Amino acid sequence: MANNVKELVTKLRPTLSLARYGKIFTDTTDFSNIDHGDVIKINNLHYVVIRDEVERSYGIEDPKYWVKRCVCLENGERYIIKLVFYENFILNLGVLKIKCYRSPEKEARILNLVKNDKRFMQGMPFKDEKGNSVRIIEIVIGKKLDDYIAKIEADHRTYFFECFPEILEKYIYACEAINFLHENNEKHGDIRRDHLWIEYKTGDYVWIDFDYTFDFYENPFGLDIFGLGNLLACYLGKGEISNIDLEKMSQTKELDFNITKDDYSLLYSNRVYNLKQIYPYIPERLNEILMHFTVGSEVFYETVDEFLLDLNKCLHELKK
Amino acid sequence: MENNKLLVAVDTSENSERAIHYISYILKNRDDFQIGLLYVHMLPDKDIFPDEESWKLCCAERERKGDAFLKKCEKTLLEKGFKKENIKQIFYYMEAGSVAQKILEIQEKNGYGTIVVGRRGISKAEEFLFGSVSNKIIHYAKNSAVWVVE
Repeated sequence: MANNVKELVTKLRPTLSLARYGKIFTDTTDFSNIDHGDVIKINNLHYVVIRDEVERSYGIEDPKYWVKRCVCLENGERYIIKLVFYENFILNLGVLKIKCYRSPEKEARILNLVKNDKRFMQGMPFKDEKGNSVRIIEIVIGKKLDDYIAKIEADHRTYFFECFPEILEKYIYACEAINFLHENNEKHGDIRRDHLWIEYKTGDYVWIDFDYTFDFYENPFGLDIFGLGNLLACYLGKGEISNIDLEKMSQTKELDFNITKDDYSLLYSNRVYNLKQIYPYIPERLNEILMHFTVGSEVFYETVDEFLLDLNKCLHELKK
Repeated sequence: MENNKLLVAVDTSENSERAIHYISYILKNRDDFQIGLLYVHMLPDKDIFPDEESWKLCCAERERKGDAFLKKCEKTLLEKGFKKENIKQIFYYMEAGSVAQKILEIQEKNGYGTIVVGRRGISKAEEFLFGSVSNKIIHYAKNSAVWVVE
C-alpha cells in the first residue's frame, strides 16, 4: 500500500498536478498545518488538499484555514472538507450585536438529517482518529441566488411580472426546508444572501453552511425567520434597496417616495422594506409580508409556518 | 386557583431583584400569602461548547448562581417579615423549550393565583429575535393575574 502522497497520487490520480507532495493526515486537530499537497485520510478515502477556502466580501478575501478544497484521489471528485474550529464572536446584525458560536457537531447532525434532501448542501460527517468531526461536503455547482437575480437583464416591472412568480415558488420551497429544520429542533443559524444558492444544472435552490449557533431559548428560530424576511426583501426588490438607491431613483426618475421610518427594516436601519412605495404594482398582500419585518410592525412572525401561509396566498394571487 | 399564592419567577438579573423588592414592599408583614420562588435552570445548548467537560462546568456555574440567587431572594423576604414556612423555593431544570411556557405550567399545576416577573425592557428588534419571557406570560396566562415589574 502506498504510504506517501507522491506514490498515492501516481497510483490513484496520475493526471493530477500538484506543486507539492506533502504528508498524510489522519489527525486533523492542527488544521493550520494541513496545506496544498497534503492528504486527509478519512473513512479509507484519500482527499488531497488543493487550497484553503476563502470567503469574499466587499472585495476582501478572508481565508478559512479550517475549510479545505480537496480532490478525492479515489473518485476524482472535488469536495470541501470542513475541520473542527471552535470560535465564538460577536455578530453585528444591523442595530443588534449577537454572540455567535461555530459548531461542527451541529452541522454534522444537520447533514445527517438532510441526507438526500436536495434543498440542502449534501455531505457526510466522519470522525478522524482523534475524534474530530470532519465533514466531507459536495460542492454546489451554481451561484448565489441574489447574484443570479441581480444579473437578470430586465427592469423591475418586467422582472416582477415575468420572473418573480417562479422565484417566489422556489423560494417557498426553500422556506419549507427551513421549516423542516425547525420541526426537527434544528436551526440554520446563518440565513443570509451568501447561503442560498441556485444550482446551474437543476435550477434548484440550495441552502449551504449550517454551523452557526446561538444560546437563545425563548425564541430559538427568530433569527432564521428574520433572515427569511430579509432574503424576501432582497429578491422582491431585485437587490436590497437602501437610502442611496432611493436617492438615485428619485434623481433619475424624478420620483418622490413617501417613505417614513416605519418602512425600514427593523434591524437594518437603511434598508427599505416597504417596496410598494417604490414599485406600486407589488400586490398589497405581498408587501404586507415584508411590513412584518419593519420598524413600524407590531406583530411579528413567530414561526416559518405562519410566514409560509402568507407567502403561499401571495403566490396563488400572482399566478392568477 | 388560590389568590393568596404568588409564583415569583426569577433569573439572576437585577430585574428579578427589583421584582423581589417590590413584592416584599407590597406584601410586607402579610403572613397569609404563600410565595413560590421559582428559578428555571435552562441548561446551555451543548452545541456552543467544544466538549462535554466545558459544558458541565458551565452548567455547574449557572446552577450555583441560580441556587445562590434563590437563597438571596428568600433572605430578602424573610427580612421583610415573611415567614419561612410561607416561602417555597422551586429549582427547575430544563434542557430545551420556552421558559415562559414552563412558568405557566408550574403556575397552572400548583394553583398560583398570581405570577410575578421582572422585565428587561428590551427593544422591538430584540423581542423579535430573542423573544420575551414576560410578554409571553402576559399573552398566554390563564386563570392568573400577572405582575410585571420593570
